[in-house]
Amino acid sequence: MITHLEQELEAIKSKMFEMADLAIESIAKSVRALKDSDSHLAEQVIRDDSMLDDLEVEIDNECIRILVTRQPAAVHLRFVLAMLKINTDLERIGDLATNIANEAINLHGRPTLKPLVDIPRMADLAITMLRDVFTAITERKAEKAREIISRDRDIDTLNMQVYRELFTYMAENAHNISQALGLIMVSKALERIGDHITNIAERAIYYIEGVDIRHADE
Amino acid sequence: MTVKLTASNLTFYYGATAAIKNVTLSVKSNTVLALIGPSGCGKSTFLRCINRMNDIIPNTRVEGDINIDNESIYHPRFNVTSLRRRVGMVFQKSNPFPKSIFENIAYGLKINGIKDKYEIESIVEKSLKSTALWDEVKDRLDESALGLSGGQQQRLCIARTIAVQPEVILMDEPASALDPISTQKIEELIQDLKKNYTIIIVTHNMQQAARVSDETAFFYLGDLIEINSTEKIFTKPDIEMTENYITGKFG
Repeated sequence: MITHLEQELEAIKSKMFEMADLAIESIAKSVRALKDSDSHLAEQVIRDDSMLDDLEVEIDNECIRILVTRQPAAVHLRFVLAMLKINTDLERIGDLATNIANEAINLHGRPTLKPLVDIPRMADLAITMLRDVFTAITERKAEKAREIISRDRDIDTLNMQVYRELFTYMAENAHNISQALGLIMVSKALERIGDHITNIAERAIYYIEGVDIRHADE
Repeated sequence: MTVKLTASNLTFYYGATAAIKNVTLSVKSNTVLALIGPSGCGKSTFLRCINRMNDIIPNTRVEGDINIDNESIYHPRFNVTSLRRRVGMVFQKSNPFPKSIFENIAYGLKINGIKDKYEIESIVEKSLKSTALWDEVKDRLDESALGLSGGQQQRLCIARTIAVQPEVILMDEPASALDPISTQKIEELIQDLKKNYTIIIVTHNMQQAARVSDETAFFYLGDLIEINSTEKIFTKPDIEMTENYITGKFG
């Protein structure tokens, strides 16, 4: 029998998935806007961020209501606590996608330093990680979430590679500096997105297994 | 949402003492209102005013009024028997009749003039199903209701109440004598029942009020201190006294 509480938790989960879809879309569109120098697309990403903000508030309120009126325990409690935090991570991912979109607008119309290869690759990695972490939540598979965390290193490595490459461009010609700095900001934003997805995976593990693995290897 | 029930300036006296004072509140249809407050605050007295159960206590009197569907239940010409059919009640201690499970539910139907055997059987089954008791008792409907567990007896009493299709159900601490699992079943049941009924529940258990109700009214020494949405009462009540009570600072 599905209890009223479980129905309400299911509704929160659906909203969270909606938010994840929006976040994925924002990452994809912001990087595409940068790559194709499409300022209209970048503006759309900035506009759509308010949908993520609204959902964040909505999910927060719903979680508070459930904590107060349903007093969830055990796995139900862990689920609500995890959702409250995942919510914030997704909203931050939206903000970072907005930062990328802003850089796309700044760089719009200027000759490109080089074809973008690593930055779109970072975005693809992040999008796949984000998709997979929500699959792990649906299937309640902690192992899958752990594996996703390990993938964050690939994004970090690409980030360092982008830095090195852009430093070379800056050293070669001072006129490249402002453009290279813009791309460094984009790369940094994607690296941060990877960190937030790692957070989501950690919270997923807390929900599934009840263990807190944050800072375990620090 | 339409208003089902309104109390206007309701004061109830035991002798010269006012047990509830000038209470005004309204309850919307298909919602659950929880009445909370320390012992002696008047919440049960208020509940019993709604089906005029207090009428039978000597030396008592009522001022003000209660309306159900905009009709005064204290009007001299108001039919109290029909009121008790329209407003069902479930008590703290389950009180099945010392009869079979079937008869417990059929009794109310029969005294309400339903004679058709098939109709009675069908209502008994429906009532037991809507209290999630059917699967547990369908093979022993002829056995004594007193052989059921406490939680089952209480759900039987709720089934008996809803068999006569009341509009409002009053519950006076319906789960306080039950174990946690039976309590949970009653609470789930309350959530299901509100689709068809308006429910007013008195509970000593604040957490229970938070779990089952849409609105909560806090009574103290006969005064209605605050009535608000349950979420509001338990996150940011408007009145400091309510906050003090629900955070355990007095009482």
